[in-house]
Amino acid sequence: MDTKKISSVTLLKATFLSLWLTMKNLFRRPVTVQYPATRRPIPERWRGGTFALTTDKGTGEENCIGCKLCERICPSNVITVEMEKHSGRGWAKSFILDLQACIQCELCVQVCPTDAIVMVYGMETPVTRREDLILNKEKLMANEKLYPAAWARGLKLQKLHEPEREAEEKREVVGK
Amino acid sequence: MEERVVEREFGELALNMGPQHPSTHGVFRLQLHLRGETIVKVVPHIGYLHRGVEKLSETLDYDMLPPVYERDDYLSPTSNSLAFVLAVERLAEIEVPRRASYLRIVVAELQRIASHLVWLGTFGLDLGGALGGGATLFLYCFRERERILDLMESLTGTRFHTNMNQIGGVRYDVYPGFDKEVIETLSYIENRVGEYREALDANPVFLERTKGIGIVPPWLAREVGASGPVLRGSGIKYDLRKNKPYLSYPEFEFGVPVGKEGDVYDRYSVRVEEIVESIRIVRQAIEGLPEGPIHSRKPLKSATLLKPPKKDVYVAVESPRGELGMYVVSDGSSKPYRVKVRSPSFSNIALIPHILPGHLVADAVAILGSLDPVFGDVDR
Amino acid sequence: MSFLEGFAQGIVLLGSVLGVVAYLTWFERKFSGRLQSRIGPYWVGRPHGWLQPIADGLKLLAKEDLIPLKADRLLFNLAPVWVVVISFLGFAFLTFTSNWVLVNIDLGLLYFSAFGSLIVVGVFVAGWSSNNKYALISALRTAAQMVAYEIPLVLSLLVPAVLVGSLDFKDIVEAQKGGWFVFFPFVGQVSILVFLLSALAEGNRIPFDLPEAESELVAGFSVEYSGMKFAYFYLGEYVHLLAVSLLTSILFLGGPDGPLFQGGVWVAIKTLAVFVGILWIRWSFLRLRIDQMMLLNWKFLTPLGLLNLLIAGLWASLNYNP
Repeated sequence: MDTKKISSVTLLKATFLSLWLTMKNLFRRPVTVQYPATRRPIPERWRGGTFALTTDKGTGEENCIGCKLCERICPSNVITVEMEKHSGRGWAKSFILDLQACIQCELCVQVCPTDAIVMVYGMETPVTRREDLILNKEKLMANEKLYPAAWARGLKLQKLHEPEREAEEKREVVGK
Repeated sequence: MEERVVEREFGELALNMGPQHPSTHGVFRLQLHLRGETIVKVVPHIGYLHRGVEKLSETLDYDMLPPVYERDDYLSPTSNSLAFVLAVERLAEIEVPRRASYLRIVVAELQRIASHLVWLGTFGLDLGGALGGGATLFLYCFRERERILDLMESLTGTRFHTNMNQIGGVRYDVYPGFDKEVIETLSYIENRVGEYREALDANPVFLERTKGIGIVPPWLAREVGASGPVLRGSGIKYDLRKNKPYLSYPEFEFGVPVGKEGDVYDRYSVRVEEIVESIRIVRQAIEGLPEGPIHSRKPLKSATLLKPPKKDVYVAVESPRGELGMYVVSDGSSKPYRVKVRSPSFSNIALIPHILPGHLVADAVAILGSLDPVFGDVDR
Repeated sequence: MSFLEGFAQGIVLLGSVLGVVAYLTWFERKFSGRLQSRIGPYWVGRPHGWLQPIADGLKLLAKEDLIPLKADRLLFNLAPVWVVVISFLGFAFLTFTSNWVLVNIDLGLLYFSAFGSLIVVGVFVAGWSSNNKYALISALRTAAQMVAYEIPLVLSLLVPAVLVGSLDFKDIVEAQKGGWFVFFPFVGQVSILVFLLSALAEGNRIPFDLPEAESELVAGFSVEYSGMKFAYFYLGEYVHLLAVSLLTSILFLGGPDGPLFQGGVWVAIKTLAVFVGILWIRWSFLRLRIDQMMLLNWKFLTPLGLLNLLIAGLWASLNYNP
């Protein structure tokens, strides 16, 4: 017991301080948030929900051109895209995203050249069957209407990463 | 796992602190041989969390790897991806802009504070019991840590595996209210950690449980390759941020706490003082954040565009557990030929068979807690 | 009183102690929750979770009763029953108000300490019969600890008896009408300190709860018990703790004595105050290791208790009027 170097007064004081510490907390407000009754406010940049394939606001066309950049960048290989070409541009014939293995790294969102794939603020999206976690193109396009889209978009992030831009211009892009 | 023949002497009790145990900090099997309550022999078994990250990285491109490496040492994810990203940047000779370097430091030090808070909470659980004073300390530390995780969530979008480090820079930039939030959170944490120190530093029960226990002599620490607070607790002043600086650490002023005797109490006080020092670093970084771009490569389109030259490089960073190194061998293509992770917890737990015998069972838990192993890091 | 009257009173006492103990568990969970910045029970009986003890009791009754394959069945089933019965028996001799006690024996104090030491047997048998190394280590530790701490416990319990000259609770309560024993110079404070520390150790509470240390030996001697048998151990511990708090308030804090009125209400308030103090200590301190606990006992508490008793005895012999 090496408490010889510390005086008994200090030891006694520390004992009472540890009791006082817990007593202080008795009178502070508890930090519990009663979950389904109260929902926590989600920060703007939140990524953690599910995905959506967007459509162009003006024309209503799908944004996805089937370039497969997201498929190639995904570290977990959850995306599978088949491309078809008609009407002068590419389209995604099928787009399968397996949410079971997604690690939510947002790399797919970052590389998309047309802001097609985005993450959404769907915080309560649990399902009861495994098949429902494998999102196909219809479900992804439906998600766009079901949930609001998240902050990060491909073009926004790419503009953020341009090395030559001035700092002021970038501040506008970021905003909050 | 093959069954090993256990040699046992007469009068010894072989007890298994098995893979499922409230206090072994993860999946770890510790085979103890006891005589009464004293431990006479220890055989540790690891490998329960092996996920094959090093083999997996031979099949993925460089740009896809930082999110995968974050899952190694899951209590301070950005240190792993930082080590990897620095290694690849040195391979491919990419310069990182200053703003990105400062942001990397801010996130790394915030996660160091969070990791040490987890350590303090679980240390309290080990010493005090899940239904008792330890649980109180545990809940307090996690309450403070939630504030840091809220900060990370506002900045990057997820609380933990932030995926902030990318080859060439950082992914997210700060938003206009960030520095005020950071400073507020830091002063709150400093206040609270001060309260816990007051209650614990001279607490007679705490001192009895931690003074003179698990003494790691400096020669043993060096021989085994221990690093981080374990090494500094034994009196050797070696911190990669000062001895082999990386990023912009030379621009900041901070101290490196060192212990005297190498017992559990010294490792505790080193870690708690590191929290205070990290708070200093983050304050300096946030206040002095330079303007500029946050990336120095063209925006990421395809991962196969990065083909570093045929070299090998070793870069180490100071993670909260110690020296986390990445040895990357490139063969000129866009996938690494081999990545070897030098994990700090693996070397730290090699101390266990040397320092545990002679102590009681209750001390085994305290010593294991003070070494702070994270089994995602040990087994990868 | 006749046998039937006594029997009926006994049933009432048993029922009320059970009810009080059940709600003391609720109180502990709420109190510890607030100490830890969280709300305790909330959902069962919103908004304060006051139905939680009933829900817990029903859950424990409905659990599967597991007996390990190679465990000693008779001893395994006997141990929790033993612990509970002995803990409840201690209550029979305590007096709650100035004139009501279930069993009127003039050696109340002696009987109480005798029953308190029998609990060790139950705990040790539980650990041994579980056929589990963890339980065995814990049982050995418990036996050592509880037997060792009997000594300062009895030494400090004897001080009020020596000061008053009788082992009967009623006489001790009467004698405190002038001034409570805790205010007695030197002897009062030392005895209450020694008594509380030994009682914490007897009841396996933090800072002395290494036998049940969840971090090392998951649940200690009761690791193989499930369902209602586990509840019995828990219940027995609480009843013992309640008895100890009651004993403190009777022996040292004056019992029914109080400023505005006399009566059982003061006993309840003082018992609750001591109980809250014990809870507060539990949730604020870390636990001591077994050899440090033993050191504390043999090198500090026992000599102090002996010295204390000596001084009390000297005072009593100087003021002896038969």
